[in-house]
Amino acid sequence: MGIIQTSQVKSPWILHFCNSSCNGCDIEVLACLTPLYDVERFGIVNMGNPKHADVMVVTGPVNYRTARVLKNLYNQIPDPKMVIAVGACASTGGVFHNCYNILGGVDKVIPVDVYVPGCAARPEAIIDGVVLALQKLSKAVGVAK
Amino acid sequence: MNQVWIAIIAVVVAPFIGGLLAGIDRKLTARLQGRYGPPILQPFYDFFKLLGKSKIATNRTQFIWLIAYLVFMITCLVFLVLQQDLLLLVFLLGFAGISFVLAGFSTKSPYSHFGANRELMQILSYEPILLLFALAVYAQNGSFMISSIMENSTPLLISLWPVFIALVIALTIKMRKSPFDIATSHHGHQELVKGIMTEISGPYYALVTLTEWYELVLVLGLIALFWSNPLWVGILIALGAFILELLIDNVNARLTGGLMVRICWAAALILCVLNILYIYFMRGVA
Amino acid sequence: MDIQGMLAVAILLPVVAAVLVFLIRQYQLRGLIVIVTAVALIVNSIYFLKLDLPMNFTPDNPIWGTIITVLDYAILLFYIYAGLSLKNWLVLIFALTQIIPLAWWEFGVGASHALEEIKPAFLIDNLAVLMVLVISIIGSLICVYAIRYMYDHEEHKKLEKSRQSRFLFWLVLFLGAMNGLVLADNLMWLYFFWEVTTLCCFQLIAHDLTKEAINNGARALWMNSIGGTAMVAAMIYLYNANGGNIEYLSLSNIIASGGVEAFLLLPVALMCFTGMIKAAQMPFQNWLLGAMVAPTPVSALLHSSTMVKAGVYLVIRLAPAFNPVLGMIVAVCGAFTFFAASVLAISQTTGKRVLAYSTIANLGLIIACAGLRTELAIAAAMLLIIFHAISKGLLFMCAGTIEHQIWSREIEDMEGLAEKAPLTTFITITGMLSMFLPPFGMLLGKWMALEAVYAVPLAAILFVLASAATMVFWAKWLGRLLQVTPKLGKKIESLSLSYSVPLWSLFVGIFVFGIGIAPLYDRFIKFAVDNVIPIQHAFTEGWQIILPDAATALSLEKGVGLLGSYPVLPLFIVFAIAIVLPLLFVKLKPQELRPIYLCGEHAGDVDTDEWYAEADNVSKLELGGYYFESAASEESLNAWVYVIAIALLVIMFSIALGVSL
Repeated sequence: MGIIQTSQVKSPWILHFCNSSCNGCDIEVLACLTPLYDVERFGIVNMGNPKHADVMVVTGPVNYRTARVLKNLYNQIPDPKMVIAVGACASTGGVFHNCYNILGGVDKVIPVDVYVPGCAARPEAIIDGVVLALQKLSKAVGVAK
Repeated sequence: MNQVWIAIIAVVVAPFIGGLLAGIDRKLTARLQGRYGPPILQPFYDFFKLLGKSKIATNRTQFIWLIAYLVFMITCLVFLVLQQDLLLLVFLLGFAGISFVLAGFSTKSPYSHFGANRELMQILSYEPILLLFALAVYAQNGSFMISSIMENSTPLLISLWPVFIALVIALTIKMRKSPFDIATSHHGHQELVKGIMTEISGPYYALVTLTEWYELVLVLGLIALFWSNPLWVGILIALGAFILELLIDNVNARLTGGLMVRICWAAALILCVLNILYIYFMRGVA
Repeated sequence: MDIQGMLAVAILLPVVAAVLVFLIRQYQLRGLIVIVTAVALIVNSIYFLKLDLPMNFTPDNPIWGTIITVLDYAILLFYIYAGLSLKNWLVLIFALTQIIPLAWWEFGVGASHALEEIKPAFLIDNLAVLMVLVISIIGSLICVYAIRYMYDHEEHKKLEKSRQSRFLFWLVLFLGAMNGLVLADNLMWLYFFWEVTTLCCFQLIAHDLTKEAINNGARALWMNSIGGTAMVAAMIYLYNANGGNIEYLSLSNIIASGGVEAFLLLPVALMCFTGMIKAAQMPFQNWLLGAMVAPTPVSALLHSSTMVKAGVYLVIRLAPAFNPVLGMIVAVCGAFTFFAASVLAISQTTGKRVLAYSTIANLGLIIACAGLRTELAIAAAMLLIIFHAISKGLLFMCAGTIEHQIWSREIEDMEGLAEKAPLTTFITITGMLSMFLPPFGMLLGKWMALEAVYAVPLAAILFVLASAATMVFWAKWLGRLLQVTPKLGKKIESLSLSYSVPLWSLFVGIFVFGIGIAPLYDRFIKFAVDNVIPIQHAFTEGWQIILPDAATALSLEKGVGLLGSYPVLPLFIVFAIAIVLPLLFVKLKPQELRPIYLCGEHAGDVDTDEWYAEADNVSKLELGGYYFESAASEESLNAWVYVIAIALLVIMFSIALGVSL
């Protein structure tokens, strides 16, 4: 367990991407940054740039136009990286399931590590999802057993 | 031989100090915003995490300029601790800044270019202040050598306080703090994606972080020169200036680049110029 | 070789070669002659170092004096003809203001007999030899470069009748005139060589015979004729005010008693003014800016080793004859030009125009150093002359090479040149870095100048602002060259030998002279400075440049020890670690390349710069430079620049008049 692996778990930087969501989940994601929840306690920072991100937080169902963008952004994130699908729509397509323009959940386009359910997902649930993703990451990099 | 050891120790210790200061910065900023904030060691976690990321880049040239940025910043620091020529140090610092700008320019990315152009405006703003600082030190001390400042028993702050104020303005730009964080900025602020840093990622980003720590220590070191005997007073003043910057950062919104250049050239430069002229005048009277 | 032969090679050989080049119509043979002349000039200039300096020389045969007088009038008559045929009244007026007083003085007053007695004709000292070296070596390299360049130039323009021989004639003649100028001590001879350079300059700028070229050539002609007029006035004044005595018609005598005889200040100021016009100082910067319409070898020659260097040479030469107030105002004039030109350069979009403004700025810096008149400042001025000549010669040749690869002078068109023409770009970037960054010689000169400028705070402040502006305009241009999308650009580079030999020679020169600056200073530049201001301090210590405290000037009691120090060798090592090693060893694996961030709308892979615009149209990504148009453009600043520059000149002359009369 080296210092780099330890650090990887302690410093997840987030790229927040909104597909075609109703913005309910987006507002909840931003709520995590407010003083009430203050995710920076865990070193979580919203970067807005795939090249600096470790964790991709995706909201909303994937449609035909956003699929391309989503894939592009995912490819620009350097390894190791995690993807969290936030909300029912991002997980499965939600109420938009089977719409003419909707592909479905995020996992139709890129591999997803953690699904956070809810419509909209609560900030606590989102933080929980990030923590889960970090546990998964620490297993992957070999910090935890 | 002694000097070599001093240089080596400074180069090794400076990033730890810089990283700790960055951690204090984030903690204090969080407290000012009513948040709990990350641990003090958070910048180190970020740094090592970035080192562990996979290398991706848009081209090779960019990396070369980033290394130049780091190496020249370290050289500046060595110049400071070995008490070399202050004017030359300022020129070297200028080259370091230019290297970073060229790193931003050497990829065909619009955000990177925005940032690089703005970084140039920042250089245009702070470079004259730093050069005039060197000239003011000369006017006061009769030498450009930092060693002469250290030998001097009267603190510079007494006769050069307007230059000190100007240097604090330059420090705001150097630390990338509001209202002058126009090229790129640190956590909690977003500047056109990430401005000049947009295409720099993973270990290269870590390199830039390291350079910024060196830069922070260097600029605070320059401020500490204002009270060099005893030096601990100077260091306290530098820390005070650092805390002041955090306050300025948190109570200000970002200004436009044009306003930044105007403020620096109007307010800060006039302070420096009046200060230097006053010293000459007093010498003439005496 | 004796001194007579060396002078003949330095001055007459270019004249003979020029005539030969003009007569021979065959490309190869003509090129050969130019190359042989270049080699002869370079070898000859190095022989000058072996002379026991300083020494005088006057040709035994009085016929030379007569020839020069005749040619003097021939040139002035040609100016009148040019003024009439171009219908340019300014050219005509300033030709008349030279020829009428000159003829009245020589034949009306009857000074011509006395004038033949002026001795010596030539004064060869270290400063002159320094200039001869710069002119002969860098100027010759540029002539070699011009052989092939002009061939390509005419190919591209599809000229039916070749005018290359005419071009090379003036180019090679220029070197002879310049060598004569810096060696001359007799003012009449100096004036003659001065006029020859003006004539060559006019012919070369107007070479392409487009309307713009002729106009700009005429502008160079009349502006420099103002300088010529000032010189004539200075000579007549020196003769008449001294009661018809020729004593002060010799440069060395003026300098020797300049500080003593008050009446000398006015002619000194007049000649200094002449030098400033030739050095394109504000408000006379326009002739040099206009000169860039000419083919690039002309610009390279005018900007680096000849013409403008004649101007700064004269000002430096006269520096001991200034009084402190005149020195101060000259320093402020130079510093103002340095500042204004640097700021104006930011808004320029044409590569050669940026180079031109940068030249004007650096000449301002050199003139300011001459005005400061301390040994430190003069040393800085000499270093700047040498390093500016090398770097600017190189940069203009690079600009020409680039122009012949992309057929454009616009900085915007040079985007991504690092991929298309890697070798040229590499040399260009090195040349640009050598203009403003440590550890290269130009920065060393600037550093010395800044440490020397303490006596004039106003100049110091202008220096500081200008330094910052300098960084900005170079960085912007560098940025355009470097901006690369991997694997996208096609390689278009082809360098013929006539291009690459001069380029690489100067490239190596930058490093050799930069690293060897301390020995260079000790063995040579020191003595050249000594010709201007007697030296008391040693400025080097091993590989380090150290500036001892100027206890003689303006120091405080506590100021003991050093003024400053510049470790040359360590800085070059740092440069090697910072740039050269990464350049050699940093490699990027292909799988590590990623496309740029375009909000996820990047279309394609790493090697494309296209993106999905509105309605999914694939568009090419276009980026432009930022030129600070609103703040630094010529339209908004020029009026101020002219007012201030003219005011400074008025102040200069009022002081000189006040002291002299």
